[in-house]
Amino acid sequence: MTNTPDQNTKANPPKAKKAKGPFRTEAIIPFLIVTALVLVYFKLFFDLHLKKGIEWAGYQVLGSEVDIANLETSFINGTFRAQGIEITDSAKPTHNMVVIGDVRFGVLWDGLLRAKVVVDEMAVEKIEIGTQRKSPGRVKPPEPPKPEDTGESALKQEADKLKNQALDKTQEQYGDNVLGDIAAMLSGTSGDDQLKNIENSLPSKQRLQALETEYKEKQKSWDQKIKALPQGKEVQALGDRLSKVKTKDFKTPQELQSSIKEIETIFKEADEKYKLVSATAKELDTDLKTIDQQVKELDALVKKDIKDLEARFRLPKLDANSISKALFNQYMGPYLAKFNHYRDVAEKYIPPNVMKKKNGEVDEQIQPRPRASGISYEFGKPNAYPLVWIKKVSVSSQAGASPNAGDIAGLITDITSNQLLTRKPTVAKIDGNFPNMQVMGLSSLVSLDNRKEKSMIDYNFKVGSYPMAGKELVKSSDVTIAFNQANGGLNLEGSLEGLREFKFNLGNEFKNIDYSVAAKNKTVDEVVKAIFAGIPVVTVNARGEGILPNRLNFGVNSNLGPEIVKGFQAQLQKKIDEAKAKIQAYVNEEVGKQKARLEGEINNAKAQVDGEVKKVQAQLEGEKTKANAKVDEAKKQASNDAKKKLEDEAKKALGKDGDKKLNDLKKKFKL
Amino acid sequence: MTLLLKQLFGFFRLLNSDTGTNQLAAGLAAGIILGFSPILSLQSILVLIIVFFFRIQIGAVFVSAFFFKFVAFLTDPASDLLGQWFLELPALRPAFIELYNMPIVPFTRFNNSIVMGSALVALILVIPAFFVFKTGIIKYRASFVAKFRDTKIWKAWSATTFYKWYTKYQDLYG
Repeated sequence: MTNTPDQNTKANPPKAKKAKGPFRTEAIIPFLIVTALVLVYFKLFFDLHLKKGIEWAGYQVLGSEVDIANLETSFINGTFRAQGIEITDSAKPTHNMVVIGDVRFGVLWDGLLRAKVVVDEMAVEKIEIGTQRKSPGRVKPPEPPKPEDTGESALKQEADKLKNQALDKTQEQYGDNVLGDIAAMLSGTSGDDQLKNIENSLPSKQRLQALETEYKEKQKSWDQKIKALPQGKEVQALGDRLSKVKTKDFKTPQELQSSIKEIETIFKEADEKYKLVSATAKELDTDLKTIDQQVKELDALVKKDIKDLEARFRLPKLDANSISKALFNQYMGPYLAKFNHYRDVAEKYIPPNVMKKKNGEVDEQIQPRPRASGISYEFGKPNAYPLVWIKKVSVSSQAGASPNAGDIAGLITDITSNQLLTRKPTVAKIDGNFPNMQVMGLSSLVSLDNRKEKSMIDYNFKVGSYPMAGKELVKSSDVTIAFNQANGGLNLEGSLEGLREFKFNLGNEFKNIDYSVAAKNKTVDEVVKAIFAGIPVVTVNARGEGILPNRLNFGVNSNLGPEIVKGFQAQLQKKIDEAKAKIQAYVNEEVGKQKARLEGEINNAKAQVDGEVKKVQAQLEGEKTKANAKVDEAKKQASNDAKKKLEDEAKKALGKDGDKKLNDLKKKFKL
Repeated sequence: MTLLLKQLFGFFRLLNSDTGTNQLAAGLAAGIILGFSPILSLQSILVLIIVFFFRIQIGAVFVSAFFFKFVAFLTDPASDLLGQWFLELPALRPAFIELYNMPIVPFTRFNNSIVMGSALVALILVIPAFFVFKTGIIKYRASFVAKFRDTKIWKAWSATTFYKWYTKYQDLYG
């Protein structure tokens, strides 16, 4: 037999529980376990996770793989050290864009206790560029288009993208072939024969033919409408009927009334016909105006056709700027691509309020209210720490450690979240050489002043000398121009105001150039070689300004442009003028004659329509006036007759001297 | 999750018992501070440490913090204005400058208008709330719990062997 809990309770009454104190002593062990686990995590795993986190963030922001060989942090000492930072070159994933051997710094506990990050000195050492990677780095693929941005379907966006790519490619080819076009022109094969093959493909000619067909159809409709208008006989018949209506010697009031009614009927008929004629005239006038407008549009189409033909036969423009731009399109391409890449990165990661992006469209979907962030006040005082302050970053590197290492020395001062507290702008000055790569005289000076309402970044980047080999400027079937070898120098300066308004000037100078110039055509070959033999130094200058992220203006010019223009001017201008004249004559022949004939026909039709319609209109107006006059006359006559009859009856009633008595009565009543 | 559920069940058990009135009221009052403070702030960590080491009912703290987080979300605009007014008081400016540049204190994020506004609301509410909760719990037990225990259903349930075993278990291991 077993005891129930109830029986147990009775047998052994429970001891009164000891009252527990205010402290939860049993919590100490769990607390110690949790603390120990946190310490173990920071000791064993935190560095690894931080390293992975930085590598991931670097890949996301820069778009290419970032590797860190070793990363160490110490919470007690407040130190950070990263070694072997490799950033993959996205254009050449087998190589690194830059390798930084060692980055180390210590944060002040004095600052950390105040929730501020203050670094006295950060060291950046062992900088190498363009080193070979052990294995190719990952490069982020371009992001797919966002259909919600424009509301267009992804298919349409893709189609537009392909179209734009095709257009860009065409423009690029035209650019590369600028000297090819000149060569073709000088060789006399600039498409004279092609004019014969165009035949009816000119859009202006096609439009003219369509206009002519349209005009003929209209003409038929006009003929029908003119025929439906009241003829002269009908108008005459109305006149005859009107003249027969009695307008005097009415014997009875009914006779008068019937005459007025008849006149009104005739007037109404005439008015209806008049309205029909007016409506037809208005309709014809509108048609004629439309055709006039279409003929005017045809003139614009003819001008466009001439321009298109000039482009189609690739008549080169002897304009120094266009030639410079076309020659250095290929050369500037990678720089512009890099600029666009970093512009996109800035647009993606800089907060919208800084970039002042306007989001005009309000999302119609119901959205939960985001948690407000409030205003964070900074209660600074002289010598107080800002939230982040890296007082000094020393950059140094020695050449010789590896083939791609450089002699670099630089100093970056006062990187901070609040320059108003430090009262100093952030300034970075880095100078150096990469002797093994023959890159000498590298110098950069960047300053960021955030103490005014609009931040101002000024930068100046110089490379005294760098080697260039096998750089092709033009490569077409007709002409090839390349720098076999040259020494380049570069100077880039510019500014960025409020992180939006940018300006830059890029100056490039190439000296000691060994050109490789060749052309199929003998004359062209001679001219081109003569031109380039006289150009010992080539300059390429680019200017840009705009408002990020979208309003950008770029311009490129070079001393090569004017030199090429000068070299080709004499031979080429005459040929270009001749070709232009030929195109003009061809278009005139194809379109001009037909256009003149059509214009003549339209003018005739106008005159005819105007004449006939106006004639009928005038006749009808005459009959309407006559009818009105007749009505007035009949009314006046009837009134006079009635008056006379009344007077005669009064005279009879007055008896003898009826005339006199009646006159007296009239005078008395002032009638 | 098990620990959290255990605390929540403990809260309801204690609420329906005759003991721990102060623990419950203190837990609900501490939840106000947690609810009105940002999770990652010094004051939240301090409250959690106090709750952990002092005999305050943790389930009550979580229930109250959960509820007052929603209240804080709704009163954010008002807290923002209150915080701005308080932080911009010229008389307190020197004190704020000192506090902002002192060690440890900036971790409270007192310089943010919403944090300061919410903290003021929480500080004003916390002591009266303790007494209101205490009175409420006593009244709840006297009216609702006592009446429920008088019902036939409860009497029948408490007379079962299963319930007796359960109460024994609670006495021994609860």
